Amino acid sequence: MSGDTTHFGYQDIPLEEKQGRVDDVFRSVARRYDIMNDLMSAGLHRPWKDAMATALSPSRTRPFKHLDVAGGTGDVAFRILDRGGPQTHVTVLDINGDMLDVGRERVPARHAGQVDFVEANAEDLPFDDKSFDGYTIAFGIRNVPRMERALAEAFRVLRPGGRFLCLEFSKVDMPGLDKVYDLYSFNVIPQMGKMVTGDAESYRYLVESIRRFPSPGLFGQMIEEAGFKRVTWKPMTGGIVCLHSGWKI
Amino acid sequence: MSDPQDESGRNADAEGVKADAPLGIDPKLLEILVCPLTKATLEYDAGKQELISKQARLAYPIRDGIPIMLPEEARQLPD
Repeated sequence: MSGDTTHFGYQDIPLEEKQGRVDDVFRSVARRYDIMNDLMSAGLHRPWKDAMATALSPSRTRPFKHLDVAGGTGDVAFRILDRGGPQTHVTVLDINGDMLDVGRERVPARHAGQVDFVEANAEDLPFDDKSFDGYTIAFGIRNVPRMERALAEAFRVLRPGGRFLCLEFSKVDMPGLDKVYDLYSFNVIPQMGKMVTGDAESYRYLVESIRRFPSPGLFGQMIEEAGFKRVTWKPMTGGIVCLHSGWKI
Repeated sequence: MSDPQDESGRNADAEGVKADAPLGIDPKLLEILVCPLTKATLEYDAGKQELISKQARLAYPIRDGIPIMLPEEARQLPD
């Protein structure tokens, strides 16, 4: 493995260094992560996550076991539980303990007992094969050093008939909006990050990592290569984000 | 003779204010957890709050009910 490099924002760094660097970013911003999401996306991360939870539409009457990866603060998990029934259960996985602590403190009383938390790596999931009916990852996959490994693990832990959904930033494809988006991303977001979390560097990384992420077509191909079928994607808000979907059949 | 103070002493301190936080681990979660390296089933040590992977010779800690399934955070077991 030594000698392999990956990208950390716009820098190329040794593959084995990336996880540590990503950990630092999230440790530094955990407490104010959701506030920053609201500010940076002008609240749009809420309807984007709502759209993912709605696309999943867990059964309200039958058991549904779900895994939300990179979901430490719980905001995706709680949305899924709101759409499911009493037999919906979500396991929240994150590599960062600080993010999980935030999530556990925020479990709404109505969902107590329907959610648990696990600290682990998306590339090496600590679950048996075919353990889950659904897998989601929102704004997380681009922080995983070896995305193809994370996708293969997603496929492994899903049951046949299981659904894979991934929400990730994408390429803005609307003339005019792209210019505004660039200006905003590289100038406004790091400044905002500095004001709210005291950490401009972490947010510079987040913006750069968005630009290095493969196009929806390419990423869709990676999802197919992991074994998923009926792979589709849906751009939202002028292509700022994209909801990817696949089925294990 | 026995030394009770190391028995989840840290837990009691940390959880003092959060009485509703789960102390142990959800049994349903235990059923599906495996070693992230070997994918083999784990042994649960309730006293030590650890999940033992015999093949990997690793003990994964459970901190305030959250299993930490990272090999780099696990305790190496003697051979």
